[in-house]
Amino acid sequence: MERSLVQLVCDAKCDGPQSLRSAARLMSIMTDQPQRLAELLANSRDWPQPRLVLGITGAPGSGKSTLTDHLATEFRKRHPQQRLGIVAVDPSSPFTGGALLGDRVRMMRHATDPGVFIRSLASRGRLGGLALGAKGVVRVMGLIGCDVVIVETVGVGQSEVEIAQSADFVMVVLAPGHGDSVQMLKAGLMEAGDMFVVNKADRPGAAQLHQQLLSALQTSWMARLDLAHPASDDVHRAALPSQHPHGTKCDLPPDGRFENDADFPPIFLCSASNHEGVRELADAIEAITARKADDWRAGRHQQALEEIRQAVLEEVRRRVSEVIGANGASAVRTLPVLTGEVSLKNLVDEVMQESVSRASRADRQPGTQ
Amino acid sequence: MSAVRKARLLIGKPGLDGHDRGAKYVAHVLRDAGFEVIYTGIRRSPEQIVDAAIQEDVAAIGLSLLSGAHNVLFPRVVELLRERQAEDIVVFGGGTIPPKDVPKLKALGVAAVFTPGTPAREIVETIDGLLGARQAV
Amino acid sequence: MSTIDATQRIDSALDQWTSGPVAKTLAKFPEQKPQFLTASGKPLERLYTPDARVVDEYRERLGFPGQYPFTRGVQPTMYRGRFWTMRQYAGFATAEESNKRYRYLLQQGTTGLSVAFDLPTQIGYDSDDGMATGEVGKVGVAIDSLADMESLFREIPLDKVSTSMTINSTAAILLAMYIVVAEKQGVKPEQLDGTIQNDILKEYIARGTYRFPPQPSLRLISDIFAYCTEHVPNWNTISISGYHIREAGSTAAEEIGFTLADAICYIETALKAGLKIDDFAPRLAFFFAAHSDVFEEVAKFRAARRLYARIMKERFGATNPKSLMLRFHTQTGGVTLTAQQPDNNVVRVTLQALAAVLGGTQSLHTNSKDEALALPTEDAVTVALRTQQILAHESGVINTIDPLAGSFFVEKLTDELEAEAEELIREIDAHGGMVAAIEQGFVQKRIEQSAYRYGQSIDRGERVIVGVNKFVSHEEPQMDLFEVSESTTQRQLDNLKQVRRRRDAAIVNEALEVVKKTAQGAGNLMPAILAAVRAYATVGEICATLADVFGEYTESYQ
Repeated sequence: MERSLVQLVCDAKCDGPQSLRSAARLMSIMTDQPQRLAELLANSRDWPQPRLVLGITGAPGSGKSTLTDHLATEFRKRHPQQRLGIVAVDPSSPFTGGALLGDRVRMMRHATDPGVFIRSLASRGRLGGLALGAKGVVRVMGLIGCDVVIVETVGVGQSEVEIAQSADFVMVVLAPGHGDSVQMLKAGLMEAGDMFVVNKADRPGAAQLHQQLLSALQTSWMARLDLAHPASDDVHRAALPSQHPHGTKCDLPPDGRFENDADFPPIFLCSASNHEGVRELADAIEAITARKADDWRAGRHQQALEEIRQAVLEEVRRRVSEVIGANGASAVRTLPVLTGEVSLKNLVDEVMQESVSRASRADRQPGTQ
Repeated sequence: MSAVRKARLLIGKPGLDGHDRGAKYVAHVLRDAGFEVIYTGIRRSPEQIVDAAIQEDVAAIGLSLLSGAHNVLFPRVVELLRERQAEDIVVFGGGTIPPKDVPKLKALGVAAVFTPGTPAREIVETIDGLLGARQAV
Repeated sequence: MSTIDATQRIDSALDQWTSGPVAKTLAKFPEQKPQFLTASGKPLERLYTPDARVVDEYRERLGFPGQYPFTRGVQPTMYRGRFWTMRQYAGFATAEESNKRYRYLLQQGTTGLSVAFDLPTQIGYDSDDGMATGEVGKVGVAIDSLADMESLFREIPLDKVSTSMTINSTAAILLAMYIVVAEKQGVKPEQLDGTIQNDILKEYIARGTYRFPPQPSLRLISDIFAYCTEHVPNWNTISISGYHIREAGSTAAEEIGFTLADAICYIETALKAGLKIDDFAPRLAFFFAAHSDVFEEVAKFRAARRLYARIMKERFGATNPKSLMLRFHTQTGGVTLTAQQPDNNVVRVTLQALAAVLGGTQSLHTNSKDEALALPTEDAVTVALRTQQILAHESGVINTIDPLAGSFFVEKLTDELEAEAEELIREIDAHGGMVAAIEQGFVQKRIEQSAYRYGQSIDRGERVIVGVNKFVSHEEPQMDLFEVSESTTQRQLDNLKQVRRRRDAAIVNEALEVVKKTAQGAGNLMPAILAAVRAYATVGEICATLADVFGEYTESYQ
C-alpha cells in the first residue's frame, strides 16, 4: 500500500524505525516523478536544510569516489553529531535504460555508520529530470538531518554537469595520466567548477596537469572579465591571478590569494588514496561554507521559487495538452481556428476551462492522482 | 514519466570470498534487462548489505556466495530485513550451493536460488516474476 | 632451396586450394559457423601451414628443453626424468580433520601437499571475529595460532614432503608458523621445501583476499624474499598466479600478460629493496590455469615461458639460467566445471590435465567432478588424482618432450599469444606499472569485459557447454556431497579459547609491540612475526597490529 507523500515526510523526519525507509521511499518518488518536488518543498518548508551541498565531479578514473569517501570520513570526524548524505550519480545505459551503479563499492565502510546516508542515482538520460530529482533527494536528506550532502557525478555529460550545478559549490577533480582530465579542460567544463582538485598528485604528470588547468582557468577568467568590464588588455593582465596550488606536495605555502581573488577558483593538489591533502581540502571547504552559507540558503530559496514556477508551467502544459490532444488528435480542436469558425482566444478559453473541470473531476475520483 | 521503469536491485557479496565474476555478470545481465542495479562489491557483512538496500530503496537483494557460508549468511540477511521492518524486499541468491540446501534456504525466506550455469534469461524471468508486475509509479 | 622459397610455394598452393576445392565445397556445404574461435574468443584459420621462422630461427625462438628461451620446457629431460608433482589442493574444517586428509592423500600417492586455508585465515581474522561468521573451516582449514599449525602437520615429516600453501596477505605469518613447526620436529629451515602463493597483486585484481594496501603488502613480500634467500633457501617465495585471473574471466593471453606484469612489479620491488636479481629470481614460481581448449592452452604455456625468459634477460639482465626459467604449477579450470551432469567434469578435467602436461607443467592439481557444487568428497578427489596417474603411466604423452612443437598451428598460436601478452604488458607499463593499473581499475575492467563476452556467448548459445545450454538433461544429479560439519566452528572456537588461556599474555603483547614497531620502521618483519608466532599470537592479532600501521585496502569499481 503506497503511503502518501505527506505521511512519508512525517515518518522520515520522526526518529522512528521507519525513518530511513520513508526517506529512501521519498527519494524514489523524487527521482521517478521529479515534478513532485514542489509538493515536497511545500510539505517540508519548516524543516532544516543541509548547511552545505557540495558537488563533486570529475572524469572516470580521477579518483573522485575515493576523494568523496575520504571527505566523508573527514566531515564525520568534524561533526560527529550530524548526519552526512552522499548522492552518487552514474550514467544509465542509453540502450536498455538500465544502470549498474558501483559507487558504493568504494564507500562501503560508511554503510553501517548510522550517520551516513548514501543514495545511488542513475542519470536516466536527459529526459529523466535528474537535476530536479537530485534536488528532491538532497531535500529529503535535509529532512533526516544531513548537515552536509555530497553530490558526486561523472563529469562527462551535460546532465551530470547540471546536477553538479544544483549544488551550492562544485569541486572538479582531475588526475594526471588520464586523457579524460585533459578532455574536460578542453571541453570547457571548467566553467562548472568553483574549486579544482588535482588528485593523485604523487603521480608523474601532476605538475603539468596543474599548469594546464591553471592556464585554462586563466583563459576563462579573462573571458569572464571581458564580459564584465570591456577594457584594455593591460588591465586584465594585472588582474590575472597566478595561483599556487594549495594542499599537499606544495612547496609554497598557500599564499592567501583566494581570499583576495575570491572569484578565482582555488586549486588543490592531493592524493586521496594516500590520505594526503584531504584535511586541508576539508578546511578550505569549511571556510568557504562559513562565509557563504547564508548566500547559498538564499540562493536555494530563489532556486526553489524558480523551480516551482517551472513546475507550474510544466503542469499547465501537461494538463492543457491532455485536453487539446497530441499532434494528430489536435486537428479536431485546431481546425476551426484555421477555417475561421472559432477565434484563437475563444479556443484558449474553452481548452483551459475544460482542463479545470477535468482536474476537479479527477480529484473527486479516489485512487487517482 | 509514464514509461515503465524497472525496479532497483542490489547485488551484494556477503562473507569473505572474493569470486565476484558471477555477481558482476548477473549485475550486467540485469542492467541489460533494464534494471537499475546497485553493486556493493565483495566482503560485505549482512548488516552492510541490508542498510545499503534500505537506503537505496531497492525491490530486491541478490546475494552471491561461493565459500559455502550461504546457510548462515543468506538467512541472516532475511532476518535483518525483518528486524528493520523491510521484509517486503525480496531476497534471492546464487553461487556454489548444493541442491539439497536450496529447499532449506527457501524455507528461511530466500525467494530464489540460482546455481552455476543458470541461463541469464532464466534469472531475469525469475526476478521479473518475483517482483510481479511491479512498476515504478 | 631455402625454407623461405619452400614456404612461399606452400602459400601459393594454399591459395589454390582455398579458391579451388575449398570454395567448391563451401558453395555446397557451408561451414557450421562463420567464425571458429578458441575458448578465449580468438579467431582461428581453417588450416595452418609452415612458417619459415620455425626452422630459420629455431635456436632463438624454440631452442632445446632446459635452454634459453625455454619454449620447449625448463628441464633437459622433462617427464622422462621425473613426472610432474601430483599435488592436490586440500584442506577444510579443523587442523585435525585436514591432517587426516593429507595423510590419506600421501598414502594414495600424491607427491606434494597443497594446503587450502579458510577465508578468515587468508584475510587475517580469527575464527571468533565477527567478520568470520559462517566462514570458519569452509573453503579450507582454519588456522588461528601455531597450535593449529602443529595439529595440521602432526606425523607428517616436513623434511620429506614439499608443501604448497595458498596464502597471500597473511603469507608471512603462515610461513613463520611452518618454520616453527619444522623446528619443533627438529627440521632446519634450510631443509624445508615448498611454496607460498604470496601473490598479493592478483588478490586486488581477481581473488579478493587482500587486507593491506599495495605498498605495505609489497614490502611484506620483499621482506619474505630477503629472509628466505638467507634462511630458507629452497623455499619458493612466491607463486605468481594467473589461475585466479583466468577464473575471474580473462582470456588466455590476459592470463599470461597480467601475470607476467605482476611478476615485473614484484621483481622491481625486490630490486628497489636492494636484492640482486639472480639471488631471488630462481625462487620465483608461477601458477596457471588449464582450460579445455587444449591447443590454446599448450600454446599459452609455451608463450609464457618464452616471454618470461626474454623479460628476465632483456629487461632485468638476469644471467643465471635458473632466473630465466618459468616454472609453473597448473590447476584445471574450476570455472569450467558444471553443476549439471557432474560426471562430464571428469572428461573436462582429463582434457585440461592433458593440456597442462603437453604444455610442460612442473606440478598439477586436477579438480574433482563435484566442485561446482561443494568441496570434493574423498572419492571424487581419488578419481581426479587417478586421472593424472593415467596420463603419466598409460597415455604415452610423457615419452617425448614438447610433442606439439612444430605443429604449424601450435607454433603460430604460441607466437600470437606471446605478442598479445607482450602488448598487455606495454599497456600496464603505460599506466605507470601494475599497482597504478590496478588502482585505475584497468586490469579488473579488462577481465570483467572478457568475462561478460564469454558469458554472453554462452547465454546466446554461440558457445556450447554440454549439459548446460545443449544436451540438457532434466534429472537432478544424484550425488553424495562433502559437507563441513556444523560443529566445526564450535570446535575451532574452543581450540582458540584454550590457546588464549594457556599462553603467556605478557609475552604475546610484547611480541605484538615489536611487530608494530618494526612495521612502523623499515626493518625486515619476518623475525618479529616469527617471535609473535612462537608466543602463540594469533593470525588475527598479528594482522590487526599490522593493519593499525598499514591501513586496510578497499576495492573500487569503475
